[in-house]
Amino acid sequence: MVQLILCGRGGQGIVFLTRLLGEIATQKGLDVISSETHGMAVRGGSINSHLKIGPFSSPLVRTGHADYLLSMDESETSNNEHFLRNGGVVFENSLLPSEHDVFRVDAGGLARSIGRIQLENVVLLGFAASLADLGVSFDDIEEKLAIEKRETVRRNNLMALKAGSKVATELKALIN
Amino acid sequence: MNHSRVESYPITRFLMGNEAIARGVIEAGCSVATAYPGTPSSEVMESLSRWKTELAHKIYLEWSINEKVAFEVAYGASLSGKRAAVVMKMVGLNVASDPFLSAAYLGVRGGLVVIVADDPGPHSSQTEQDSRFFAWFAKVPVYDPGSPAEALTMTLKAFELSEKYHLPVMLRPCLRVCHARQNVTFSLPTEPVDVGAFEKNWTRWAATPKFRLVLHGELNQKIEHVSSMEPDAVPHLVSGTLKSRLAIITSGSVSSHVIDIVTSNPEMSDLPVFKVNLPYPLNRNNVQEIVNCNDRTLIVEETYPVIELQLSDRTNVIGRLSGHVPQEGELVPEIVDRIIRQFIGAKSSSELEPKLKARRPSLCAGCPHRPTFFMIKRLFDEAVYTGDIGCYTLGVNLSAVDTCLCMGASIGMACGFAKANGETDKRSRIVATIGDSTFFHAGVPALINAVHTGANFVLVLLDNNITAMTGGQPTPATGFTADGSVAVPVNLERLVSGCGVDFLEVVDPYDYDSLEDALTRARTYSVDQGAGVSVVIARRPCIRTVKLDPQALKFEVGANCDRCMTCVRDLECPAISFVKKDKIVKIDVEQCTGCGFCVKVCPEQAISAGRA
Repeated sequence: MVQLILCGRGGQGIVFLTRLLGEIATQKGLDVISSETHGMAVRGGSINSHLKIGPFSSPLVRTGHADYLLSMDESETSNNEHFLRNGGVVFENSLLPSEHDVFRVDAGGLARSIGRIQLENVVLLGFAASLADLGVSFDDIEEKLAIEKRETVRRNNLMALKAGSKVATELKALIN
Repeated sequence: MNHSRVESYPITRFLMGNEAIARGVIEAGCSVATAYPGTPSSEVMESLSRWKTELAHKIYLEWSINEKVAFEVAYGASLSGKRAAVVMKMVGLNVASDPFLSAAYLGVRGGLVVIVADDPGPHSSQTEQDSRFFAWFAKVPVYDPGSPAEALTMTLKAFELSEKYHLPVMLRPCLRVCHARQNVTFSLPTEPVDVGAFEKNWTRWAATPKFRLVLHGELNQKIEHVSSMEPDAVPHLVSGTLKSRLAIITSGSVSSHVIDIVTSNPEMSDLPVFKVNLPYPLNRNNVQEIVNCNDRTLIVEETYPVIELQLSDRTNVIGRLSGHVPQEGELVPEIVDRIIRQFIGAKSSSELEPKLKARRPSLCAGCPHRPTFFMIKRLFDEAVYTGDIGCYTLGVNLSAVDTCLCMGASIGMACGFAKANGETDKRSRIVATIGDSTFFHAGVPALINAVHTGANFVLVLLDNNITAMTGGQPTPATGFTADGSVAVPVNLERLVSGCGVDFLEVVDPYDYDSLEDALTRARTYSVDQGAGVSVVIARRPCIRTVKLDPQALKFEVGANCDRCMTCVRDLECPAISFVKKDKIVKIDVEQCTGCGFCVKVCPEQAISAGRA
């Protein structure tokens, strides 16, 4: 059972990540339920998604129950930290260095170096999925992104995922 | 949803509640579906279009001009013998209430399901109204799904119930069902249902008041039968045991929070939780029996006390009427948890209250409405700005929207503001703003009214050729409808002229000088000369529908910027910000779309096309 919060600003690809993880879980035969923001808030406002893998009925994560918080925007992290349980972990798109229970990656910078700022969500996902069990594995995500038919989209997504993973590997080496 | 068609049924996919509802509509053998977009309902029609393509299905789909017309189209289809669905958000039902209430009396032929999405919170709406209450008011049965998977099965049940009792049936999903996603299993669609050709009978289908009385009696009987005979009108045990002296009755999306909370807490896991699929008309005897068998019964429902009010003896009932459940606001899991803890006498959890600093929404960078609002504010100082429903309600950020009541009200209210204080009063300077889709929806009769009564105000039609707020649906001016099939575009200028408007200008809002000129002349016509309503159509496609040219000019702020903040404050473009640390105004090249309007806005002429 895993409970996740994904947060950021409208237009940062939060819904894409939520759907991606939910589709993978569904294809693996798991029970999964999520909730997302639509409407006016998406016009650059604060948005978040909830994702729960396991035998849940409600699509909403309760305060103090999330295992992980994936934050696309460091200024949105504080709006969503209350969802984390004791020992919950943050994965954040930020230029700052990582610290205890907050793992950071410059997803925006890496996405830009691949040539598309819009890939920053996939970079963050690659980073997080390499450091934690999000309910679906890094390999599952890679496999799912690899079946995309449009070649440029596929190549970019896989590059972004690996870029995030590479930073995670370096970070792990540093910790050990 | 673009999977290959070789999959064998049943299929399981990760579906949004609205996609699941659309699947239910198709599976039920529905022939006609109509809708007007509105959060959180809009994806139902969009998904119908995708299912239609994926299955090469023949269902007729349309984005209607408004919910009233959408209802009437679906109702006509039902009378002609086919199954029909109409989709809207809850405030849309206010618009469709006239045919909705009348149709309950007349009844239906082919199954007619009215899908109305509620928005407790409210997150994207004017009210928190409970459409189940509206169903009760109309004497129409209502299904209340708790999850996307349940929304699909209840859609199928709703069609069956509608045909069985010859009644319209409502499906009322809340936001947390519409925009939830879940692994949902579905089957092969059935063939379109046909109950036979329309049979003329004016005493029913064109009933005069004398026959309406008879029909009201029939309607009362139908509702009585549904409540006493239908198993879904009886609450069923979904969790817990019957050993407890306490019980919970719940329905709809909030029931899913209740179930997760009680099953994950050992202190609560024995509590019996009864769920009602059809909260109106309830099997009152049965529900009363549950209440009578327990010392106390907690009722948790969203957003009005529909189940609670149907109970004749509420002495031992805990709910909204007893003051234990909040009267407003969404029942999020944290609140439900607190209510249940209070109910069983457990101590409250020590969860921290979140400190939220949510970012306010803003018109997109490059949005063509921004220059229009900027210019209105600049040319019509001290005017009242009546606004309307859409992205452009965000004109409040530019202080160019003062009112927002309901769809089309900018024009009707402008008329009232203009008439209330006499021609010469400063308070009679009025500028109304309305989007193209909202104008078609409910603005047209108000404009005719204003022309006819000689009201003096400026109406600015923000024409981006799309219904932008809800995700970009076509309008009657678009050359295609819901599934992409060809439609006849209705010409906005001819429509405005046809309403009797003599002053009509069309401008590109990116063109500073033309915009200033057109609005200045409109001001002379309506405000200075008092010659009637002037209409300025500010036309440019929604920036979200435009493929941005990566080579487009990007703009930058030069050294002669004196930090007057005109661009930051008055233009409020998300691409322009004041960097406190460096005390400079900066344009974010990633957000800038290159519209260039800020160049003319800057009093110091400090903004110019950059090298980026």
